[in-house]
Amino acid sequence: MKKKSNFFAIIMHITILLLIAPLLILVVWSFSRSWSWPYLLPQEFGLRGIMHVLHPSSRALKNLLFSIRLSMIVTIITLIISIPAAKALGVYNFKGKGFFKVLVLAPIIVPPVAVAMGIHLTFIRLGIANTFIGVVLVHLIPCLPYGIRILTNVFEIVGESMEQQAKVLGANPIQIFLHITLPLIAPGLISAGSLVFIVSFSQYFLTFLIGGGRIITFPMMMFPYIQSGDRMMASSYSLVFILATLVVLVIMEKAIKSYYGTKNYFYL
Amino acid sequence: MNKTMKPYMMLMPATIILLGIFVVGLTMALVQSLGYFPAIGLQEFTLKYYREVLTDHRFLASLRFSIWIAFVSSGLSVIIGVLLAYSIMKSKQKKGLEEIVYKLPVIVPHAVAALLVYNVLGQSGLLPRVLYTLGIISEQSQFPALLFDRNGIGIILAYLWKGAPFIAMVVYTVLSNINDRLSEVALNLGANNKQVFWYVLLPLIMPSILSSFIIIFAFSFGAFEVPFLIGPTTPRALPVQAYVEYMNPDWGHRPYTMAINMILTFVSFGFIWLYHRTFKIITKYNGGA
Repeated sequence: MKKKSNFFAIIMHITILLLIAPLLILVVWSFSRSWSWPYLLPQEFGLRGIMHVLHPSSRALKNLLFSIRLSMIVTIITLIISIPAAKALGVYNFKGKGFFKVLVLAPIIVPPVAVAMGIHLTFIRLGIANTFIGVVLVHLIPCLPYGIRILTNVFEIVGESMEQQAKVLGANPIQIFLHITLPLIAPGLISAGSLVFIVSFSQYFLTFLIGGGRIITFPMMMFPYIQSGDRMMASSYSLVFILATLVVLVIMEKAIKSYYGTKNYFYL
Repeated sequence: MNKTMKPYMMLMPATIILLGIFVVGLTMALVQSLGYFPAIGLQEFTLKYYREVLTDHRFLASLRFSIWIAFVSSGLSVIIGVLLAYSIMKSKQKKGLEEIVYKLPVIVPHAVAALLVYNVLGQSGLLPRVLYTLGIISEQSQFPALLFDRNGIGIILAYLWKGAPFIAMVVYTVLSNINDRLSEVALNLGANNKQVFWYVLLPLIMPSILSSFIIIFAFSFGAFEVPFLIGPTTPRALPVQAYVEYMNPDWGHRPYTMAINMILTFVSFGFIWLYHRTFKIITKYNGGA
């Protein structure tokens, strides 16, 4: 028995080490100045990469804030659209429910390349290609399935009984939504919001094609460095990207929690 | 509000977005792939572009390559992910850092995962350096080219690094919600740990394993970033090939590009259908559990 659990502990630690070690190497790269073959550690440490990303004169920081704003807008719109849709799918029975379930999940399965190239010309004709609105709209496609999926699961568990009680007691629909529904689904909102933000924030191809080089997000600034194999710069951008994601997720979680006072959850 | 209309009203905004962008986008791609593209004067429906695509060796190589990457990376992700989730549950002194740390890859974008693989396994990456220091290889080029290679090893590893923790996260959530008594009853009746895993736990986590498998499979089959960054140019992964064709300035080439996109879509749907079939068979086998 004892041996067995040691065996699994070893497996767990090795796997986690293999997952985390590359991230640590990334951190070392972002703080290195020169690190050439075949040295195992940088010959010189430095802040050049990080400074390049964070320095006010570079466009990177401004771009990071722009990307966060874009993805926050996408996240909020996704949640607003997802809540009623998820409630319908999670609580009610109606004709054609199967169809809607498939429609709502299909964007996870169908390659975004096909959808983006198919809609591109339409977006150009409508004048929303190369615009902020166009990019927000196209980001909704990969985001909605995750938002609706997670919240549907939540509504399936929560049900409608609490809301009906409030209604019997004379609450109006707005009161019911604000004081009953939202607090009940708050944990689900945190995990759906986090995932949707991640999906939108790391989007490259859709932004690149529909944004047409006019809408430049942080991943688009990062991409060329990875492509050209500039390890120091690419690692610095990636590190800032990951840290920014973590900060946004923590703030989002704190904001929703402080508002609805939910228990401690760590959703990622 | 009319009671029967209510769910439809609630689904309306999501449906409008999905129909207006997703379905219209796919329809446009389909129509163009069939040769109807009035913008350049093509008005006749034809299957000739599909014929052209399906007889092109380069396309077939890309298709094989993408299916290979998707299968191997998602298969390995499931095995390692389930093992990781089970190990975390089994190792008693849990609730530590491990429970949070393994989720980190989930928030890292795929492009960065490609960079990580490049940092570690590229021919000037850290692993070749270690091997050089240990005297196992005497120069960079002796380390096998795992990136930009025809087997897609680098791509597979990048997807694996993203996929395994994702599977582990899903499976761990389900595992920790399964009542301990089920395992205890089985143990009491004389089952060993292995039997408990195969006959009690695995059937219970199977649905979530399958649905998350399909998500990462479809993703690795249809995503552009990783194979674009660390993949070979022959054969190119299918989404990269589609993009290269799309960038062709000759619009007459569009129907051909869209035929590639549609085949990409059909194949994805084919796999989903397959998945639903196996899912049905498995749930039937388990008595609908």
